[in-house]
Amino acid sequence: MATAARIYPFMPGGAAEGTKLVSGAVVLSDLTDKPRFGLKGGGSAAWLAAQGVPLPTVNRIGEHRGMRVLRLGNEDILLLAEGTGETLAQIKTAWLAAATSKGYSSWREEGWAWMRLSGPRLAEAMSGLCALDLRPKKFGADDLAQTRVGHIEAVTFRSPTGFDILFDITASAYFARAVAAVAGHTDQHHA
Amino acid sequence: MKLLTCPMNGPRNIDEFQSFGPVRARPDPNATADKEWSRHLFRAENRKGVVVEWWRHVPSNYFFLAERDLVRNEIIRTFDASQLRDRA
Repeated sequence: MATAARIYPFMPGGAAEGTKLVSGAVVLSDLTDKPRFGLKGGGSAAWLAAQGVPLPTVNRIGEHRGMRVLRLGNEDILLLAEGTGETLAQIKTAWLAAATSKGYSSWREEGWAWMRLSGPRLAEAMSGLCALDLRPKKFGADDLAQTRVGHIEAVTFRSPTGFDILFDITASAYFARAVAAVAGHTDQHHA
Repeated sequence: MKLLTCPMNGPRNIDEFQSFGPVRARPDPNATADKEWSRHLFRAENRKGVVVEWWRHVPSNYFFLAERDLVRNEIIRTFDASQLRDRA
């Protein structure tokens, strides 16, 4: 499927243009332009399973041919591809062509921002942004949390370098500023 | 911080939740007089005791039920809506 040139929030002409992504002891990076595909509603899980996508239990993350499979609900599943996204594109094409019961597209590629928090002061910053206990023994690599991060509804999970956060794309600039504010406090305490 | 245990997401700060009021029987449209309808629509029962209420965990958009003591404002238990269907 041809992808039209989309303007993402932090790009020139985007709604968050000019908002700085914090870097230093806490690093925020934007993955919003990376491929993802979400399905929800009756039939989603059965359709994906029929395509050979192994589905984890709710609030867990699975893996399928380089994609991460996030189970947000019984019938709410999100596929994330950080690399080439070939498998994801194939699944999307198959889904568009399918005539059977297949759920609905949840438009996560347009509706959600995808950002990554990392850096040496990651743990402190995250504890200022999210009320959950996200220490490794409580929150593993296959866990995901649907909660609040920086006071907005978000999905968060571990990535190799830190935490990935998915949230309403219209809050992109707000979220970047919220993270910058928390990172600023963290710096002050260690100055 | 007050906690509410979501059957799907576990214990969370109560401001991650939204209340949708008590579970009520739906009146039969063919056998209900206007007076009962308006009472059903506009009057809250507001009695003392234990009620079963609809709640929603906002970040995951998950609706579930909670049994709450209205006098002590204490949540007794929370459970998935399928359990109510199974009991009915």
